[in-house]
Amino acid sequence: MNATTSPVNQYFKALQLDETDSSLSQEILENCGVDIERCLECGKCSGGCSNTHIFDFTPRKIVQMIKIGDEKRLLHMDSLWCCVACHLCVDRCPSGIDIPRIMDYLREKAITKGIPATRPTVELFHNLMLDQVHKKGRVSELYLILNYNLKSRQYLKNAELGPQMFFKGKLNPIPARVKKMDQVRRLFRPKPGQKGEAR
Amino acid sequence: MGVHKEQLTLVIGGGAAGIEAARVLGQAGYPVVLVEKSNRLGGVLNQLASSFPRWEDPAQFVEPRVKDFEKCEKVRILLESTVSGCQKVKNGYQVKIDNKGVAEELQVGAVIIATGFELMDLSGYGEYGHGSFANVFNSLEFEAVLKQWAAGNKPEKPPVVAFFKCVGSRDRSKGYPYCSKICCMYTAKQAGLVKDLFPDGRSYVFYMDYRASGKEYEEFVRSVIEDKHVRYVRGRPAKVLPENGRLLIRCEDTLMGVPVEVRADYIVLAAAIRPSQGTAEMAQMFGLKTDAYGFIEPEPFEAVKVQERVFLAGSCGFAVETLGALQQGAAAAAQAIAVLHQAD
Amino acid sequence: MNVAYFPGCSLHSMSREYDVSTRLVCQHLDINLREIEDWNCCGATAAHSVNHTLAVGLSARNLSIAEEMNLDKVTAVCAGCFSRLKAASHELRNNPHIKAEVEQMLKVTAPVKPEVEHLLQLLVEEIGLEAIREKVVKPLKGLRLAAYYGCLLTRPRQIAQFDDPEQPVSLDNLLKTLGAETVTWGHKAECCGGGYAASDTDIVLDLGGQVLKSARQAGAEAIVVACPMCQGNLDMRQKAMELDFRLPIIYFTQLIGLAFGYKSGQLGINKLFNSPMPLLKSKGLA
Repeated sequence: MNATTSPVNQYFKALQLDETDSSLSQEILENCGVDIERCLECGKCSGGCSNTHIFDFTPRKIVQMIKIGDEKRLLHMDSLWCCVACHLCVDRCPSGIDIPRIMDYLREKAITKGIPATRPTVELFHNLMLDQVHKKGRVSELYLILNYNLKSRQYLKNAELGPQMFFKGKLNPIPARVKKMDQVRRLFRPKPGQKGEAR
Repeated sequence: MGVHKEQLTLVIGGGAAGIEAARVLGQAGYPVVLVEKSNRLGGVLNQLASSFPRWEDPAQFVEPRVKDFEKCEKVRILLESTVSGCQKVKNGYQVKIDNKGVAEELQVGAVIIATGFELMDLSGYGEYGHGSFANVFNSLEFEAVLKQWAAGNKPEKPPVVAFFKCVGSRDRSKGYPYCSKICCMYTAKQAGLVKDLFPDGRSYVFYMDYRASGKEYEEFVRSVIEDKHVRYVRGRPAKVLPENGRLLIRCEDTLMGVPVEVRADYIVLAAAIRPSQGTAEMAQMFGLKTDAYGFIEPEPFEAVKVQERVFLAGSCGFAVETLGALQQGAAAAAQAIAVLHQAD
Repeated sequence: MNVAYFPGCSLHSMSREYDVSTRLVCQHLDINLREIEDWNCCGATAAHSVNHTLAVGLSARNLSIAEEMNLDKVTAVCAGCFSRLKAASHELRNNPHIKAEVEQMLKVTAPVKPEVEHLLQLLVEEIGLEAIREKVVKPLKGLRLAAYYGCLLTRPRQIAQFDDPEQPVSLDNLLKTLGAETVTWGHKAECCGGGYAASDTDIVLDLGGQVLKSARQAGAEAIVVACPMCQGNLDMRQKAMELDFRLPIIYFTQLIGLAFGYKSGQLGINKLFNSPMPLLKSKGLA
């Protein structure tokens, strides 16, 4: 059984600490300016985390896993895809460790490596939204939701909200767009290992 | 010899450290002026419901020493008084005292600063609700609650009391990076007292670790856990939310790695210890070296000597428990005597 | 006062009433909102979740247009947009590496000058509660409100630099200035579920549900918000949360407008899902 796809919160054998190194913490220090050696292991980040009860690894454990260099599990974990980026953790951290920044960094790294999201709909939604930004510079909520329902094969999702929203004039059928798209487009650069349109 | 014994020593602050310094000097036959800004000797000890590690009555530290003073003619105690100015002179300081509103000038050969600590203001810790929610106390406020309860003014229902350690300590974001040193011990004491007063009540102590390095300290904490059944939960609480008139605590149990919630009636925050206002004032007045946080800094390799003829005792140097304050008070008195005997 | 205005995508579609009420209130307070010309989406949760440089770059473009318009203050009313603009500004000022990267991509000098403020901050800190009080003609007497700040208005504190992230008071103070009462409650700064409304609705039902229950328990008759995402999550999903509260979720600008004497129709109050009209009528406010 692959330890990273089986119940991920379990480690099936003793961790070989003498075989891990601190290159990931160094990488995070250099790329995010976050020094995880400051962690006091107090758990204040995790006790108040909005979604700690559904995380496979709490923020404290994520920092600890960076310390022990368990990159594989970090890039596959579900916490990456259900963190709401509420910033409660970093705001309360007695050492000011910017966990949301670490989460973004790890997620970006996982995507770059082509590791599938544990919650595909979340990744799909991000991608569809950024597609719109790439094409038009702005997001039209109506088309985003319709497209999302289509692509995620949830044709009736939120359908009960539709008529009400329509009658309240909340759905704007005219897609918004930016006129000078050249600058916006240049921000989307292609990334190695990513198929399809450059992002 | 006789000349030395006429030089005054000024002791600033009448808490445990100041009292001990004045007592040793007085018993050795040296004249002392002890200046205390409140109307009573004893300092923080007067506020405490009990002590560690032997559950002794804090009054037992104060009363015998005050009795000792009364036998020493050369010890003058000025209550409700402050030091309002000082000037360096040959062999000492010319100091101005505000003695209950009456100005007085004295020449002193040695000064012992024993101005103590204060608890950090917790308004920056909105997540714990001190000042926003009723029944969230800092640790000194809770000593008063314990005294009330011990006097019989108890809540009807046995309460659930939660203690948070390291509030402002070991926190370089909103507090201080240092460990305030005494909180582990007094928190164990307070949590144990709650269980003594309410055997059916509950005490939770939320901790990162407990630091009990002192004679009988480890045994004290263990007895609170094992004999009094205080529940220690490893994790620093994240948030307190009001819920139906009670207080909901959110925390991670870092041993389990899972979120836990506790509903409490009272929350006690072991606030970081910092130098008192008086400590800052005296440091400035006497031109004393302080560390980054305002604690008075002794000379290198010195225990209590701050500069020529100035000594510290107690928590103005850094957080100390009662025993440490007494030790430093005695040490400062001995050093003062030594300096009074030095040739010009 | 001239201020660059970043409405953001929501305010041009699902949350028009927030845009409309914002413009009315600002006009009334002599704040000249100048919409950032040809602004683009801030990237919201999606951009920062998958591409840090893109996230900073999208907001940098908007800030740079504001700078070109000679405006040194930028205001947003969506807490998400505000947070993205402010975070980008912080990165451009403090991270030379990303600053260089973004400058190269956009072919502009990084816009480090404009200060980003949420409209709530602008009103409370720069216009001032006294100036607002002077304009109140219909005090919101008898309304018991829960002021909801959510996450990004005040967090993380190093970046948002506004109010207290744990016990915020600015919106409470504003609502009291308008004559309303605010309740003490625990969830004023907890998360509503943010951008997961479509992609993982259960998260919103869980977190948003907790916020609604807490407000209800504290005796609030409505929740007041300063973000279209919070508004949508709390307003549109009460049925799915199996909560029978029908608790109105009202934009703070709509309430300021009411107190300034505008009609509920002018402020788009009828556009909200759980209609505040019965409540407002019962207090003689509509």
